[in-house]
Amino acid sequence: MFGRLLKPPVTAYAHCDIPCGIYDPTPAKIAADTVAKMVEKITQLQPSATDFTTRGNFVRMIAVKEEHAQICKKELEILWSDYFKPEHLEKYPKLHDMFWKAAKLCSKNKQSVDAAAAAELQAAVKEISDMFWATKK
Amino acid sequence: MRRGPWRVAVAGHSMEPALREGDWLLVLPPRRQPRVGEVVVVRDPRDTNRLLLKRVAAVHGGEVTVMGDRRDHSTDSRYFGDVPLTDVVGRAAFRYKPLTRVGRVRR
Repeated sequence: MFGRLLKPPVTAYAHCDIPCGIYDPTPAKIAADTVAKMVEKITQLQPSATDFTTRGNFVRMIAVKEEHAQICKKELEILWSDYFKPEHLEKYPKLHDMFWKAAKLCSKNKQSVDAAAAAELQAAVKEISDMFWATKK
Repeated sequence: MRRGPWRVAVAGHSMEPALREGDWLLVLPPRRQPRVGEVVVVRDPRDTNRLLLKRVAAVHGGEVTVMGDRRDHSTDSRYFGDVPLTDVVGRAAFRYKPLTRVGRVRR
């Protein structure tokens, strides 16, 4: 519906010159921990319970789990694309692989209620976090 | 200088939440002095080929002070100083994309 005809011919910048440069793996860790906690709480629910309170809790926990899996992926991507530089890759040749696997684990945790997958995600985030802090030394 | 309304695409995040990256706006040519609170399109004093979208914080004499809504994430008059009125090339009046946020650009 927005064809070429309506596309503005110019761009105006509401921007900031200075990338804030604040990077931290903590938000990814919190998101991964939230996913794990939700999986734990979901599996503690009585599967046969059909009362509205239990159903409501179940739906809420699923929603929180999926939201935080997505947040985790986004936070990891910020570190991957914005913080890490080619010189880091030289020192950590597995860098791309680590992020790729962690991002896939985010998706897996979004799709499933799987304590093992949640633990794997936490471990993958921790590995990235350790690498991040090592570059700060 | 353009005579009629024209269109710009928003890039950057300094005017959030009022304007978001990717918004398409209708800009009116400046027929009068800008007023405090209006969102204007100004030439970047450091590179006059480049256009900036900022909010008018003050008007004094022949110059305006412009600021981004997100003070912590904006390059504006605090950095490059006031902008001469002759470099105010329009006023952001209306957003036509996305459809969910169509409407006047508020002061």
